[in-house]
Amino acid sequence: MNPVNAAHDTLGRWGRSLRASWNAWWHTLFVGAQILVLALSPASYRAPTHRQAVLGSLYRATAPLLPWFLVLSALVSLVLIRIVVATAYSYGLSQYALEVLVRTLVLELIPLYVAMFVAVRYAMPGAQEVRKQLALQQREGSLPERQSLLANQLLPRALGSMFSVLLLAGLSSVVALVLTYLTVYGFSPWGLPGYTRAVGGVFSPAVTLIFGLKTVFFSLAVAVVPLAGAAQADRDGRYSRRSDMSEFARLFSVVLLIEVVSLVGNYY
Amino acid sequence: MNPTLPPPPPPEAPPVKNLEFKAGLLLMLMAVLLVGSAAYILFARGVLEPTQRLVLISDDSEGVVVGMDMTFAGFAIGRVARIELGDDGNARILIDVPRKDAKWLRTSSIFTMERGLVGGTRIRAYSGVLEDPALPDGAERTVLRGDTAAEIPKLAASMRDVLDNLAALTASDGAVAGTLGGVKVATERLQGPHGGLGVLMGNDEDAKKLVATIDRTNALLLRADSLARRLDSLAANADRQVFGQGGAPGEAGLVGDARATVQQLNGLLAETRTSLKKVDAVLVEVQGIAGNTREATSDLGYLRGEVEASLRKVDTMINDINRKWPFSKDTEIKLP
Repeated sequence: MNPVNAAHDTLGRWGRSLRASWNAWWHTLFVGAQILVLALSPASYRAPTHRQAVLGSLYRATAPLLPWFLVLSALVSLVLIRIVVATAYSYGLSQYALEVLVRTLVLELIPLYVAMFVAVRYAMPGAQEVRKQLALQQREGSLPERQSLLANQLLPRALGSMFSVLLLAGLSSVVALVLTYLTVYGFSPWGLPGYTRAVGGVFSPAVTLIFGLKTVFFSLAVAVVPLAGAAQADRDGRYSRRSDMSEFARLFSVVLLIEVVSLVGNYY
Repeated sequence: MNPTLPPPPPPEAPPVKNLEFKAGLLLMLMAVLLVGSAAYILFARGVLEPTQRLVLISDDSEGVVVGMDMTFAGFAIGRVARIELGDDGNARILIDVPRKDAKWLRTSSIFTMERGLVGGTRIRAYSGVLEDPALPDGAERTVLRGDTAAEIPKLAASMRDVLDNLAALTASDGAVAGTLGGVKVATERLQGPHGGLGVLMGNDEDAKKLVATIDRTNALLLRADSLARRLDSLAANADRQVFGQGGAPGEAGLVGDARATVQQLNGLLAETRTSLKKVDAVLVEVQGIAGNTREATSDLGYLRGEVEASLRKVDTMINDINRKWPFSKDTEIKLP
C-alpha cells in the first residue's frame, strides 16, 4: 500500500471521528439547552396533555426506584459508616469520623451513585425507547418535527430523570445522616447538638453551594446526555440501535468531569 | 412556547391511577426535603441565633480556618467567622459566640490556640473566675499559642545537648569514670590499716597525727576531770561561807548575817518613823506660834501708827509752844 495514501486514510479517519464526536457533543449541548429552555418556559406545562406527560414521567422515574434504591443506599451507607467509624476509633481519631463521613458519603458518594443508578435504571432505557420509536416512525415515514419531539418526548423524560436524581439524592443523604448518627451515638438523643454542630461545620456556604450545583448538574447530565444521543441521527440519517456501553461511557465522562470540577472547587 | 403543539403520542406504559395525586405527593416530598435541609443547615451553622463578637489576636493564624470551633471545657461555644490581617501585622481571628454561651466567657478568661501533631488547630477558652464581669461584645484578647510541632525541633536540640553531656560524663576519661576510680582507691584504703581514717585524711601521717591527737585529748579530759573535782570542792566551800551549809552550828554565814542586819534595819526604821511623827506634832505647834506671831505683828503696826500720831501731835504742840514762846528767836538769816 502506498504510505502516502495510508497516511491520508488514517488522517481522514481521525478527522471524521473527531468531527463526529464534536458533532455529538455539540448536539448534546444544543439539545440540553433546548430542553432547559422548554423546561423553564411555562407554556410547556399549559396543555393538560403535556402536564400529564410530565407528571407521569416524574412518577415513573421516581416511584418504582424509590424503595429499592433507599434500601440499597442504606446498606451501602451502613457498610461505609461502619468501616470509617471503626477505622477512626482504632486510630484514636473518632472526633474526625463524623466530618469524614459527611464529606465522603453525603457530599461526594451519594450524588455520584444516585446519578449512575438513575441513568442505568431509567434514563438510558428511556433513551433507548425513544430511539426505537424514532426508528419505527422513520420507517413509517411519520418522523415528528424537532420541536414536537423535544416537547412531547424528550422534555418529560428529562424532567423525570432530573427530579428522580434530586429526590433520591436528597432522601438518601437524609438516610445516610440518620444512619451515621445512629451508628456513632446509638439511640440516645444527647449527641444531637454535637452532631448538628459537626454537620453545620462541614456545610459551609461554599461547600453547600458546590454540593447543590453539583447535584443539579449531575441530574442535568443524566437527563440530557442519553436523550440527546438517542435523538441524534446516524451519519446516514437513520436511527439505528447504538451500543449501551458507548452511551454510558459518554454519560460517565460528563459526570466525572462535573465531579472533578466540584472537587477542585471544594478542596483547592 | 407553542401552545398549538400536537398532543404527545400515547405512552406505551400503562396509565397510572391517581397520577396527579401521586406526582403531587412526590413534588411535595421534594419541597419538604429542600426546605427542611436548608433549615437544618442554617440551624446547624447557628445562623438563626444571636451572637456576640470576640476578636482573638495572634502573631500567627496558621491552621485556623473559618468555621472551626472554639471550645470551653470540651464544649464548642463559638465559631470562627473571619480571619483578617490587622494593621500591626497580627492576625485577627473573629469569633461568633452565641449569646446563650457567652456567659462562660469572663473578662479574666484566657484563650489558647494549640496545634497537635495530629489534627487541626484548636482554640480553647479558660475561665478561672466565673464571678468576674462578663466579656463585652467585640472584646479583643491576645491568644496564647502552643505549637507541638514547633516545639519538637527545640526539644530535639535540648535532647542532643543532654545526650552529649551524658556521653562526655560516661566517656573513659570522663567524670563518671574518674569518680569510680576514686571510689576504688577509697575502698582500698578502707580495707587498709587505717581504715576510714586513712580515707578521710588522705595519707597515713595525718591519720597517725589524728590518733595522737585523740590520745592527748584523752589525757586532757582526765585533767579536766580532776579540775572539775576541785571546782566542786571550791563550790562547797563557797556554799559554806555564803549560806552556812555544812558549817559549825555557830556559824551563820554571810546570808544569815545579812538577814540579821536587815531585821535591825527594820527596827531602826520603825523608830525613825515614830520620831518623825513627833517632829510632825512639833511642827504643828510651831505653826500655831507663827500664827500668833503674825497677829502680834499686825497689832504692833496699829500701835506704831498710834505712837506716830501721838508723836506728830507732840511735835505740832512743841511748834505751837515755840511760836507762842516769848523767847522766840528770829530765825531769819541775814546775808551780808
